[in-house]
Amino acid sequence: MSSKERAVCGLKMLFRLPNRILPLFEKCHVRSLHVFPCVKAEETANSVVSKLSKDQMKKREIRRLAQRKAAARRPASEHPLYMPVNKALRFLRAAEVGQPHSQQTLSVTTTVVSERGAPLLSGNLSFPNALKSVKVAVFTNDEQQAQLAREKFNCHLVGGTELVERIKAGELALDFDKSFATPDIANTLASQIGRILGPRGLLPAAKKGTVSDNLEALLADSMGSLPFRQRGNSVSIAVGKCSFTDKQMLENIVAAQKGVKFALSNQKTKKPSLLGQTTLTSTHGPGIVIDFA
Amino acid sequence: MSRVATQLKFFNKISSTTVEPQILLNAHKYSGLKLMFQQQNHNGHMGARKFWHEYLPTLQFYNPDLQFQVTRVKNEDKKDASVPCTLEILDKENAVVDSLDMRNKQGSEIMQELLEKLEHERVAEEDIVRL
Repeated sequence: MSSKERAVCGLKMLFRLPNRILPLFEKCHVRSLHVFPCVKAEETANSVVSKLSKDQMKKREIRRLAQRKAAARRPASEHPLYMPVNKALRFLRAAEVGQPHSQQTLSVTTTVVSERGAPLLSGNLSFPNALKSVKVAVFTNDEQQAQLAREKFNCHLVGGTELVERIKAGELALDFDKSFATPDIANTLASQIGRILGPRGLLPAAKKGTVSDNLEALLADSMGSLPFRQRGNSVSIAVGKCSFTDKQMLENIVAAQKGVKFALSNQKTKKPSLLGQTTLTSTHGPGIVIDFA
Repeated sequence: MSRVATQLKFFNKISSTTVEPQILLNAHKYSGLKLMFQQQNHNGHMGARKFWHEYLPTLQFYNPDLQFQVTRVKNEDKKDASVPCTLEILDKENAVVDSLDMRNKQGSEIMQELLEKLEHERVAEEDIVRL
């Protein structure tokens, strides 16, 4: 590299000049005093990301997956923070003392160990002791179906295109927990308010089984059940309030366990996923490891 | 300190290392305590808040049947000293038996005064949960 080239290179680094100005600098033979080492862009990118080769990265990933699987197979009672559920509840209620009632929610979080590329775990749960009434939204242009949803199932929101418009304009609070639709409106929904409902998991889709011609059967099946889904590597489900008795809590936890196990057995993967460490926690309280799997 | 050690310390703070509130209240006589104080510290409300945070969990842990109601009032105005800072002891019919003014007192002082007013017995050594 000649001294002239080096100087231009240095200038490039210093000012990040657009290419069309650079020839001007090349013409005038001014030598910069400080010569910067010329580092090409691709070299920096590589050195920043990782020093490991592709092969090593792959090996590390396999090793870590094996470690996580081994950890998931270990019984929960070996963990130093393990407690039986009733003792855990006693601690959580103590930690939660004096907090407002609405903030005393107990939830179960369990890690999911699955192969790369496995579909996310999701499903429906119905609790023997409900935390709150489930709010359902129904989208349909068919007046007969809408009437049915309104009267027989007492749905929170029922409507067609005009409801879609109102949600799009942001006039309505999105306080429902699940939604259903008929096929005639499903496409409009996806295009109009997919961006609003999609991230919250509220968009009806044929793939999820929430779009159907016969809303009556669909609603009767899923009234009173709450959806859950995997986020990241874990599934988190609200199972109760601090005011629930131990028996109620246990019933709910068992129901949650059944729901998650059912979703796990229905997951479309080559190798079945595993459930790892499960913690019971409250809004302000600590997390306590419990038996779940 | 590791995550597990921090957590164990937290549990032990509730169940064993906080000694003063390790008492069993007479469940036939009392139904609970009712506290009322500010969310903010000014006008002497800090001790009440500290009492709630440091001593009430242990009290609840050893008396799971009692109800502890905490009402926290939001009051940003420092000149307004009208918010009460009281602790009321409730009997079976939820009537106030005794009350305590918590203003300008530290959490430990409030605990001592409460112990004098309450009919209680200490938790037996073998019943104390240690993790």
